[in-house]
Amino acid sequence: MMTDRTFLWLAQVFYAASCVVTLRRLRAGGSGPNLQTANYAVMAAGFALHTMFLYARGQALGRCPLTNLFETQAFVTWAAVLFFLLIGPAYRVSFLGAFTAPLVLAICLAALLSPVDFVRAQPLAHSAWIEFHAAIAVVACGAFALAFVTGAMYLIQERQLKTRRLTSSFLLLPSIEQLDVIHFRLLIMGFVMLTAGMIGGVISYRIVGHWTTPKIIWASSVWVLYGVLVLARGLWTLRGRKVAVASMASFALMLVGFWGVNLLPQ
Amino acid sequence: MNLLVIGLNHRSAPVEVRERLAFAAGSLGEATRALLEAAPLHEVAILSTCNRVEIYGLANSAGEAAQATRRFLHGHHKLADSIDAYLYEHSDTECIHHLLEVACGLDSMVLGETEILGQVKDAYHAAKQAGATGLVLNRLFQKAFAAAKHIRSATAITRGSTSVGTVAVDLAEKIFGKLPRCTVMVIGTGEMSEITARALRSRGAGSLLVCSRTHERAEALATQLQGRAISYDQWTTEFPAVDIVISSTAAPHPIVTKEKLIPLMKTRRQRPLFLIDIAVPRDVERACGELEQVYLYDIDDLQQIAQENVAAREREISACRMLIAQHVQRYADWLEHNRGTIEERYRGRPTNAGLSGPAHNHAS
Repeated sequence: MMTDRTFLWLAQVFYAASCVVTLRRLRAGGSGPNLQTANYAVMAAGFALHTMFLYARGQALGRCPLTNLFETQAFVTWAAVLFFLLIGPAYRVSFLGAFTAPLVLAICLAALLSPVDFVRAQPLAHSAWIEFHAAIAVVACGAFALAFVTGAMYLIQERQLKTRRLTSSFLLLPSIEQLDVIHFRLLIMGFVMLTAGMIGGVISYRIVGHWTTPKIIWASSVWVLYGVLVLARGLWTLRGRKVAVASMASFALMLVGFWGVNLLPQ
Repeated sequence: MNLLVIGLNHRSAPVEVRERLAFAAGSLGEATRALLEAAPLHEVAILSTCNRVEIYGLANSAGEAAQATRRFLHGHHKLADSIDAYLYEHSDTECIHHLLEVACGLDSMVLGETEILGQVKDAYHAAKQAGATGLVLNRLFQKAFAAAKHIRSATAITRGSTSVGTVAVDLAEKIFGKLPRCTVMVIGTGEMSEITARALRSRGAGSLLVCSRTHERAEALATQLQGRAISYDQWTTEFPAVDIVISSTAAPHPIVTKEKLIPLMKTRRQRPLFLIDIAVPRDVERACGELEQVYLYDIDDLQQIAQENVAAREREISACRMLIAQHVQRYADWLEHNRGTIEERYRGRPTNAGLSGPAHNHAS
């Protein structure tokens, strides 16, 4: 049966294709035609289908598709791919897609295969502020997801340089300085959007007058966590691999916390 | 109708022989014309580099043309003794194959080097300008350029640097990205440090500081590479601005130690630091490499990477040969298919038919 989920499944076919291209390129020792443009097109096709899923779901719900864990994961990964499509060409980051595709694929497949896509009664009164604060916070998480990706790339490249063992990915990966700069910019972008989302949340509380405590604790912790990270990197207290490790750990904590917050009450 | 190549290279002849047979770049046109006069060739091109001298030609009979070409080489370079022992000859398919391997850098001293393709292009243009090429060689060379381009992109034959200097540049680029913002400091002048500094400079490294115990030598190198000489005791003061250090002093003990480096790294706000230690005994304490943001490579590390890259290129040879065979086959098919037309064109005409204008007579 054709449901809106079919679009998301089809998007995964393209993300998986992108992963296969990368693996083949690595196994060929970085030789062969430069498939960067082709890979970008495949990711863009996946993104189009991904967008169609969100659109169809949004139409069916009559609101922003963020009503359950499944939709939220689909939304976060959509934002991550969006950042990839914007940042990849703007900064000429080679091989960024190679790391984005597997992360997006993993999170989407986890969402598609786990029984978390159920219709949930919406206790909250419908408000544009609620939609805004949730959506922008989720897009912020997309930026953090891509920060996780660039952090992973940084760690791999840094390890190769440090241990003097250069693998076939050495020439394909960007320089650690470039990765460091992009990583920091993604953190700033994510943090600014998350802050906007938090402000939106406070306003919607004023309108609706309803707090869900675990979610507030989770969101505030994420905000503090990334705030400290941005500040430490901005003031040069943290540099190099420590920033990458902290950012990756923050993203993992955020994901685990989010699953916890959403699954525990049931 | 035969294609043929006759020549020598770095494997078949020592440099003493190669240098006597080399053609000056400016004299190639004149030499091709003289060769067309001297030998029964319809078309001809001369490739002359420091590692090879090769003559490609189209003739009615390969054997006769080869004999005449040998005589021409002998006469043109006024050689006293025979060079026959150093020369090789290939005809038809083997000749096509040879040119393609040369153009791809498979026959070069440094496997997969790319400079040779430019030299083959120059040789072809010189011959073409002299009116010495025609239907057959024009297509042969163009197909060779296309094959080289294809093989470069489809295999890893040109991938990775194969010398200490260029490996250092690759590493610097993977640390800092663009080099123009980087400052390089050379401590101790020597051949290797000069090569490495020059390689960094040619890839765009921003500014260069040179210090040496003998200030004159520092001055000399700084002038050569458009850098600035500083006094030997000054290196720690200049350190906060430096990104790349090339060290090659004759000091018996390490001059950069972990102890000295820790406070220096703080003054540089923990920016990445690339230490290239090409001195033996080493100038930089190995423990410096343990510090965060410090990337330390000594001469052995660089040489090992260069060797690994050479080995990686060697593993690509068979893949290259397979692709070359396909290109050779395609050209040979075209040649066979058009044999009638080509023979028609050159039949009954003087052998130097590649020349435009009135036919020239053979030199007897």
